[in-house]
Order: sequence, then C-alpha cells, then structure tokens
Amino acid sequence: MAVVDFHALGQVVWVSLVAGIGVTVLFSVVIWGTDKTAAARREGQDGQALAYGVLAVAAMVVFSAAVITGVVVMLNKG
Amino acid sequence: MSDVVLWIVVGTALAFDFTNGFHDTANAVATSISTRAMPPKVAVSLAAVLNFVGAFLSLAVAATIASGIVQADLITPAIVFAGLIGAITWNLATWYFGLPASSSHALIGGVVGSAFVAEGPDAVLGAGIIEKVVVPGLVAPMLALVVTAIAISLAYRIVGRRRPGPVTRGFRLGQIVSGSLFSLSHGTNDAQKTMGIIFLTLIANGNLSASDDVPTWVVVSAATAIALGTYVGGWRIIKTMGSRIIKMDPAQGFAAQTVGATVILSASHVGFPLSTTQVISGSIMGAGAAKRLSAVRWGVAGNIAIAWVLTIPAAAAVGGLTYAVVALFGADEAGPLVVAGLLLALLTAAFARRLATGRTLTAEG
Repeated sequence: MAVVDFHALGQVVWVSLVAGIGVTVLFSVVIWGTDKTAAARREGQDGQALAYGVLAVAAMVVFSAAVITGVVVMLNKG
Repeated sequence: MSDVVLWIVVGTALAFDFTNGFHDTANAVATSISTRAMPPKVAVSLAAVLNFVGAFLSLAVAATIASGIVQADLITPAIVFAGLIGAITWNLATWYFGLPASSSHALIGGVVGSAFVAEGPDAVLGAGIIEKVVVPGLVAPMLALVVTAIAISLAYRIVGRRRPGPVTRGFRLGQIVSGSLFSLSHGTNDAQKTMGIIFLTLIANGNLSASDDVPTWVVVSAATAIALGTYVGGWRIIKTMGSRIIKMDPAQGFAAQTVGATVILSASHVGFPLSTTQVISGSIMGAGAAKRLSAVRWGVAGNIAIAWVLTIPAAAAVGGLTYAVVALFGADEAGPLVVAGLLLALLTAAFARRLATGRTLTAEG
C-alpha cells in the first residue's frame, strides 16, 4: 500500500492557503490604496492621500517580495 | 540498442515535449487572454519565452516522471518509446476535444501500459500510482478551488466599493506578473520530464554515465520544443479554460493564476507532485463558484473531470498497444520506425486541422 507523505501534503495545504490568499489580498490592497490615494488627492486631502499611498507602496513591496520568493523557490529546485 | 532506435526515442520525446507545450499553454495564458490582460499573441509569445527560460533554471533530472511507478530496472527504450506514443496520442485527443488534461499523467499512463504489456503486472508499482497520481489528483483541484474561492472573496471585499476602471486595470497588470510566474514554473517542471527521458536513454545506450551532466544540446532541444509548442498554442483548450468554465473578470483571473502558482510552487518545493492543469482548472472553478455556484458551467467541469479519470487508462491502453505493435517487428529499429512514421502522419493531419480552427479563435481574441 502506498505511503502518502501526509507531512508534505499538510505543508502544501497551509503554504497554499497562506501564500495564495496572502498574495491576492496584498495586491488587492495595492489597488485599493492606489485608488483611495487618487480620490483623496482629488478632494485635496493631502494627509490622507499620503497615508493611503504609503499603505499601497508597503503592500506592493511585500507583494514583490512574495513574487521574488516564488522565483527563488523555482531556482532552488535543482 | 542501435543508434537509430536511440534517435527515434529522442525525437519522440521532443515531439511529446512539443505537445506538452501546446497542450499546457492554456494553463498559463487562458485567464490573461479571456480577461484581456494581454492580447492573445503577446500572451502566448510571453509564455513561450518564459517556458524556454524556465527550462534552463532547474536541471534536476534524477527524479524522472515514471520513477516509483514502474520497475526502473525493467525499463527499455522500446517501453519508453511506446509510453511516449501513448502520452502524445492522449494529449492530441484531449486537445482535439478542448479538454485540459495532465500531460504528466498521460506520460505516466503511457509508460505504465507499455511496461505492463512488456514485462507483466509485476513491472507496475500500484502503490506509486496511488501516491503520485490518485492522491495528488484528488488534492490538486480541491485545494486550488477552495483557496481561490477564499482569496477572490476577500479581494472582492477589499476592492468592491472602488471604481471599476482602476480595479480592472490594476488586476490586468497583476495578471502579467501572475501569468509570467505560472509560465516560468511550467517551464521548470515540464521540460524536465523530456530532459530526464532523453538523459536516461543516452545512459542506456552507453553514450553517457549516470554521473555525467545533462548535455547542453539536450537542455536546448527540450527547451526549444516546449517553447515552440507553447508558441503554437492549444487554442481549443485556451477557449475552454478561458471562457467555457466561467466568464472571468480580471480579479478572478489574477486570483486563479496567483493561487495556482503558489499551490504549484509549494508542492514542488516539498516534492509533492501536482498537475499544473488540475491546479489551474480547480482555481478557475473556485474563482467562479465564489461569486455564485451557478457561475460555473458544471457540465464542462464534469467533462474535464472525466478526461482526468480517463487519462491514465487511455494513455496506458495506447502505450500497451504500441508496445505490442513494436514487439511484432522484433528487437531492431523496424517497429519504432513504423510507429514513428504513423505518428508523424497523425501530427501532420492534426495540425492541418488546427490551422483552420485556430485562426477563428485567435480572431475572437
């Protein structure tokens, strides 16, 4: 009978949940923050625009780091 | 083994690599095309380039696709050849009907069938099939479906009240990144199968030893074959993946590609074999089901599931039959030559038909 590697399976499940949901949410925050920044600027609320802009940039940095991590995982396969 | 048989096996492996490329193009580009994140030609060209590059990123040939599934010491070039024919035939059949099925499972099925006919049931390791095909086949689509459904639900909550224009443009830009990551991971995964097969055949023929590096011409030819196949593009399957399962918006396309890439990469990292086709199909269904269950065309999804179930037995049947035909001609090169000739005729006919149907779909975008 096959020995299914349940440890590896468990890792795939939790990493997929965290990374898949996390990266999608991060990029959604980038879009949300960018649009809120534009809206705040149009209304002349420079402070809010700056805050939303910083949030969008921070989310973009973490999103980019996640993509780079994905490429590194590929490079480390063999 | 004569050099003629060696080169027939190498040529057949590259032909499989080509069908793998055009069959699996849809995995990476279908969502980008259907949401208009990229024009079809640009999406397919980018996928072809990234598949080519991906093939050079990783050279882990030790873990070949059929290891642990058939008795390795019983494998001969004729068994590999017949297995490849089984896989190519199933890839062509599922492409013709526009069904996304796993090329890896087709290759496994082909080799299992030819090994079974050549050496009997003892050559096939049932436990390996359960571990490498059955369990991943159940896990991949379900995991991708659930994770994508959660991810897209959260994404809709975050951007749901923002203006549709910037949101659509934003996710389309994101799809260029997520689709590229998917293409790159496909190149690193799937070109390896062909390299491994050619490498083992060269060892069996005495051209190389197991400790040698993979020759550059093997890497270049495998990368070129999968990239060319990707560029030719399996438009029928792209249409199924991009618009027949669900009607996708850019947010759904981004979530499906992102979750698909993360599932494949995490599985690849811990050595758990998942099919890219099954993962992205599950992701697309999850992206649709999260909006509403009726958004998914479950009839199409059912046909895809049937194709998945049939992949191993159908490819095994063709692989076994091919081996029986090859064996009729004895141990020399006559059998592989006859079967390879028939395959070439089949490929020519199939691509002549593709030219007629492919243009129509491309024009639709």
